[in-house]
Amino acid sequence: MKFRNIFNLLLLVGVAGLLISVQACQPEAESAEVGRLQVPVEYHKLDNGLRVVLSPDDTAPIVIVGVYYNIGFRIEPRDRTGFAHLFEHMMFQGSKNLGKMEFVQLVQRNGGALNGSTRFDYTNYYEILPSHALETALWAEADRMAGLDITQENLTNQQGVVGNEVKASVLNQPYGGFPWLDMPQVANENWYNAHNFYGDLEDLQAATLEDVQEFFHRYYSPNNAVVVLSGDFDPKEALVMIEKYFGDIPKTELPDPPDLSEPEQTEAKRENKVDPLANRPALAFAYHMPERQTPEYFAMGILDQILLQGDDSRLNQVLVKDRGYTGSVDGGINYLLGNQFNYSGPMLWMGSLFHDSTVSPDQVVSAINEVMEEVTINEVTQSEFERALVKVRSQFYDIVGQMYGFGKVDLLASFALFDDDPNLINEVEKRFEEVTPELLLATAQQYLRPERQTILTVEVGAESQVKEGK
Amino acid sequence: MKIKVFFLILCLALGFASIAVAQTEEPPKGGTPKDFVLPPRATISFDNGLDVILVPYGNIPKTMVKVVVRAGNVDEAPDEIWIADLLGNLLKEGTLTLTGEELAFKAAGMGGAINVSVGANQTTVSLEVLSEFTPQAIALLGDFLINPLFPESEIERLKSDLLRELSIQQSQPGAIALEKFRKVLYGDDHSYGRIFPTEEMIQSFSIEKVRNFYEANFGAIRSDLYIIGKFDSRGAKRAAAAAFGNWKTGVESEPTVPAPTTQRAVYLVDRPGAPQSNLMIGLPVVDPSEPDYIPLVVTNTLLGGYFSSRITANIREDKGYTYSPYSTLSVRYRDAYWVETANVTTEVTGPAIQEILKEIERLREEPPPDEELEGVQNYMSGSFVRQNSSKSGIAAQLAFLKLHGLDESYLLDYVKNVLAVSPEAISEMATKYIRPNDLTIVVVGDKEKVLKQIRDFGEVKE
Repeated sequence: MKFRNIFNLLLLVGVAGLLISVQACQPEAESAEVGRLQVPVEYHKLDNGLRVVLSPDDTAPIVIVGVYYNIGFRIEPRDRTGFAHLFEHMMFQGSKNLGKMEFVQLVQRNGGALNGSTRFDYTNYYEILPSHALETALWAEADRMAGLDITQENLTNQQGVVGNEVKASVLNQPYGGFPWLDMPQVANENWYNAHNFYGDLEDLQAATLEDVQEFFHRYYSPNNAVVVLSGDFDPKEALVMIEKYFGDIPKTELPDPPDLSEPEQTEAKRENKVDPLANRPALAFAYHMPERQTPEYFAMGILDQILLQGDDSRLNQVLVKDRGYTGSVDGGINYLLGNQFNYSGPMLWMGSLFHDSTVSPDQVVSAINEVMEEVTINEVTQSEFERALVKVRSQFYDIVGQMYGFGKVDLLASFALFDDDPNLINEVEKRFEEVTPELLLATAQQYLRPERQTILTVEVGAESQVKEGK
Repeated sequence: MKIKVFFLILCLALGFASIAVAQTEEPPKGGTPKDFVLPPRATISFDNGLDVILVPYGNIPKTMVKVVVRAGNVDEAPDEIWIADLLGNLLKEGTLTLTGEELAFKAAGMGGAINVSVGANQTTVSLEVLSEFTPQAIALLGDFLINPLFPESEIERLKSDLLRELSIQQSQPGAIALEKFRKVLYGDDHSYGRIFPTEEMIQSFSIEKVRNFYEANFGAIRSDLYIIGKFDSRGAKRAAAAAFGNWKTGVESEPTVPAPTTQRAVYLVDRPGAPQSNLMIGLPVVDPSEPDYIPLVVTNTLLGGYFSSRITANIREDKGYTYSPYSTLSVRYRDAYWVETANVTTEVTGPAIQEILKEIERLREEPPPDEELEGVQNYMSGSFVRQNSSKSGIAAQLAFLKLHGLDESYLLDYVKNVLAVSPEAISEMATKYIRPNDLTIVVVGDKEKVLKQIRDFGEVKE
């Protein structure tokens, strides 16, 4: 038996010369309430069209600021592939009151973390800060929404950085871009959905300062954006601050959205990619998703659980356990670039695996097709259905809780930008529960038909034996 | 069996100074810093040596159930590299009463999946479930860890999976660089130097070898159970006692402590045609049990450990040589090294190394300005709050204390100790620990283009 001292410590730390403060706390009650998630949502629109979502949560003295622009990498100039992402980098290179590096320094010096990313249908910028630094972050985000101040030197520098990002993630990596970057280029037909989102290095190098300004004026306006706050803050005070810093930024005329629609796929597709850096073959499969927010779309979320998510899923049971073709099958909706909720437009459900050269791609495809065929023939059993419902709810909670609650910000931003209704976050569980085994079968029969499948194989290239110089 | 429950209450008041960067319009200062309270937790110590740590946290109806076993690759014999990983995979193949399939179905039915992660010093088994299933999840993890089946029927398949994983990892330039770096620092004599097994080694693994490894290294005294999230505390405690109270005590962990090599040397691993060179530049330093550790962490953050750091500002934001360079203190039990990792464009491999060395020298020669250091300290205070504001972060912090034999004061005094570091101390730390003459430089890149660029940094070995 180990004995421990009973600790009853009150620790006082004053930071950086501030007053030392004292706070007592008590351990929580023995039992915690258990139940369904209800996210607080306040939705506002400023006169300039800026959407504002406020979701207070006092779990920790942290606030998350998300500024999302309704412009993703699908929509970028045709001779400037990768530009949406390069532009994301430029948003850190200087605005009216903040020079290069100063935005980042301001946030980090105030105890915050920050980043930005470019996805199919949005570009986001976010800060996770001690809650008292909220106003500082809002001021800084508003400063760069109001206008950029970028030099050729800064652009050239970031062209170098992004070029290195592409090399590190794709060009110098075995399986670089597989399957997340490659599959949309194979499975989709519409250029907006089917081009190289990271960009060709020549296109990246060709970008000019005029391109940067033009892109900014076209898409980075308050009426094409949403500001989302989650965490420990007072909604009334926050709204006043947002009005103060963002309210005067003029709205602009937005271009008509391009036609993103994909033609119905009527024939199965298959492509092969030779990868000289790879040691083992790999294979990915994809199907087009039903339209967002339809009953079938939620049914696909559950089919994803039944077929692909977790050790218990059918594809993992068959390809891993029964056949021994691979160690795991991974994938999902909006795989590696987001989740089922944070896009708007055509999307793929995809999965991928690594296998050995002793197993042919045809063998793998035929095992996949057995699983896919089964789900279009027989209704799932009640127990499997219930398990999938539990899994999908659990996964949804994980998304909401991701990164100190940043996941919640991301969902609220997506529902505000794409549906003009951030309250949809509280409808998701219900929409999944409305799915029935009959609807699953019907959805599988319509969306998982053999002719809607795309297969992408990675073949081990001739020069695959990289010399290791040992 | 007797169970003692203690409550540990940690309250931490945290403040931040809002610091502005000079510019046209001053940014608003923000509000008054709020206190930060470490989430309160209860610890139960079982007779068999296992601790249960319960942390009610957050408002999302999920619970993380996690067992951290102080056993891992460090406990492997030289001819059994990755047997800890094989054990991790075999655990998923069933218990005395549940098949592997049933295990997977049960975990999924609670909204989770059992994840096993094997590291140098720790094997972590975790299951995150919907809150209402917390007791069942605890019971399932207990069965999973205490009554493994180790079925002969699955081992060949799992060995094939391991061989495939080995092959894929060995094709990745980052992994190749790490293997070389570790080999140079630790040699073959210590597990930390043995990143990859041979294929023959994997082929030689048997159920018997796996079982022996399990018997020698797994047991209650080397394990802690973390229950973190939104759950009914009484039910969780009961389930923990029933599931883990009778686990065999096992043998205390006594990992061998390595004696890493310190040498200025340049190692080049040829990767013909590579558009980038993967750099690892580092040397052994003090581990978390030493008083210099926290000042060194602050030094590292300022030098290369965050986006505003000197090396990142230089080789990324000024020169555009690279995308995500970073320096870190990589720690294991009674062992640590400092390393700067960067993937740089092949043509600027030499200049990139030069700039990294230049930043190190500059910090050794001249204490950083107060404002720069204060920014780092504020950033680290904020990071500390974040680290203690998620289920996995809380578990990681507590497991870190256990592994390194640190007491609660490490967490309680962390921010205070970070803030106490002076500009002079930063330079002293850099001078004492980050010595250019002792840096091992590993380059994985295109020899034809890189060799002439790196000759000036020392004799180039392969």
